[in-house]
Amino acid sequence: MATIREKGYHHWEGQLRDKPWNFWPITRTGIKLAFERRRFKLLFVLSFLPAVIYGVGVYVSERLENFKFMAQGVDKTLQVNPGFFRSYLTLDLIFFEILLLMSLSGAGLIADDFRHKAIQLYLARPLSKSDYLLGKAGVVMFFVGLLTLVPGILLFILKLLFSGSFKFFLNYPWLILSIIFYSAFLMIFFTAFVLLASSLSNNRNYVIAIMWSIYIFSNVLGAILRIIFHSPYSALLSLKANLDQVGAAFFLVKPPYDYPWFLSFLLLISFCLLAYVVVRRKIRGVEVIR
Amino acid sequence: MNVDLKNIHFSYGSVKALNGVSFSLREGATGLLGPNGAGKSTLLKVMLGFLIPDEGEGRVLGYDLRTEQKFIRQQVGYMPEDECYIPGMDAVTFTSYMGELSGMSRQEAIKRAHDVLFYVGLGESRYRLIDTYSAGMRQRLKLAQALVHDPRLLFLDEPTSNLDPAGRQEILELIREVATIRDISVLISSHLLADIEFICDEVVIINKGLIAASGRIEDLKMINYQLYELKIKGELNSFKKELESSGCRVEETEDRLIKVYTPPGFDHLEIFRVAARNNIQVRQFVRSQTSLEDLFARVVGVD
Repeated sequence: MATIREKGYHHWEGQLRDKPWNFWPITRTGIKLAFERRRFKLLFVLSFLPAVIYGVGVYVSERLENFKFMAQGVDKTLQVNPGFFRSYLTLDLIFFEILLLMSLSGAGLIADDFRHKAIQLYLARPLSKSDYLLGKAGVVMFFVGLLTLVPGILLFILKLLFSGSFKFFLNYPWLILSIIFYSAFLMIFFTAFVLLASSLSNNRNYVIAIMWSIYIFSNVLGAILRIIFHSPYSALLSLKANLDQVGAAFFLVKPPYDYPWFLSFLLLISFCLLAYVVVRRKIRGVEVIR
Repeated sequence: MNVDLKNIHFSYGSVKALNGVSFSLREGATGLLGPNGAGKSTLLKVMLGFLIPDEGEGRVLGYDLRTEQKFIRQQVGYMPEDECYIPGMDAVTFTSYMGELSGMSRQEAIKRAHDVLFYVGLGESRYRLIDTYSAGMRQRLKLAQALVHDPRLLFLDEPTSNLDPAGRQEILELIREVATIRDISVLISSHLLADIEFICDEVVIINKGLIAASGRIEDLKMINYQLYELKIKGELNSFKKELESSGCRVEETEDRLIKVYTPPGFDHLEIFRVAARNNIQVRQFVRSQTSLEDLFARVVGVD
């Protein structure tokens, strides 16, 4: 039977706990809020289309005899090997979808808190700046992971299931690690990229503009300089090219640009560190000096 | 002691915001008064651990200001002055989210969120998006999020700002009720003296980063000065000058009432002597009831 209590303030009889995963409610709430946007739900579902197409590709590669009548030369073009997984994880469309999803769910992560002065509400709780940032980072990582890590592993499992043997696994025992580590690399990079952009303005529309401008402008600039100077190092200015170059190294395939892959790796890691420093400095409990 | 600060200094670059603040806070409701820029909000933020003092030491609820901010924030409820909220949430989600971040389990936080939202008068609109709330409703919501984890100490920064008179009275009554509950102490920063007088027994007056006065409001009124109201006939200027040279503060109201604030130990008969020396006829002489406004004006040195 429900307790009948007097009107007024009552003490809470529970015990506050110091949780090791203090950031988790921030991540969970961020994900939940993203799904409350109708446009986001539609986009989210559509963003799995490339994974589905690649899944069909894996199936077809194991049933080549059945599909030869449909497309000639399919056995040469459709080879499921490390390059196949790398091509999925460095697909232009995947990066485009990540940015599209982040425009709806990531742009406001910090910007909205700035706009509505909510940072002080978080930091007035037993949370550190790191907890706050981890919580926000978790939202970006979740969505980037869903578009990279999850399909990558599923495609690998599908390949094993459709082939009906462990031959593929024995041929490329390191491939699953490549998928995991390159996906983790993408998750870290995009987290740094989105959170940095989100902390640069308190208007989410500007944040979206910043994200797309940096991504597109860097790619265009890299391409133009490559044409002008005929130097592969021009690709270092392009975010996409750097991600491709690092991806090739992770999957042990020939890099698309003729310069050492670790330059791209160092550049992207430096970008992430710089983003961390900038975002950390921007998060303060005191916003207004009186 | 709930709060015990000793010689706290804090600067924003070259601007000194707190210049050796020391005070203790006992149970009950205490008002933190001061003009704009006096250092009230800075002091609250130092106590919450948002800002680390340049010098000095202090404890809040027994926890060290410099090293144990996390424990302080777990036990303290903070209602910021700014209009702050998280968009896209209803009040239950927002309040329970804040409870969870304080260390409550999810289910307990949701249950408690309903309780406090009913308590602050948002029960009927608790499933509405916060974005659609009025300023008064958001003010109540800020109080709810400060109370959700049942803090032992409540810091309220300008709790009645942006409120109409009716809303202000309701919020003040809620705060007064919380302040009367055993085990919860309230520190209210405000420049609205009537709010402080309505809720608090004690007051800390801060001016230019220093504690100008602190203690029970009634005691401070008695200790710091006496107020006399006079009606006179004659030239005010010389009379005023001589009284001011003896340490009194003299004000003339629009209806030609003269208010004389005398320092501690001042013999009120001296006013008559000064009047006689300046050929002033005293036609009315009343020892007046002092208000917090008078105390504030006297201590801070403003009208």
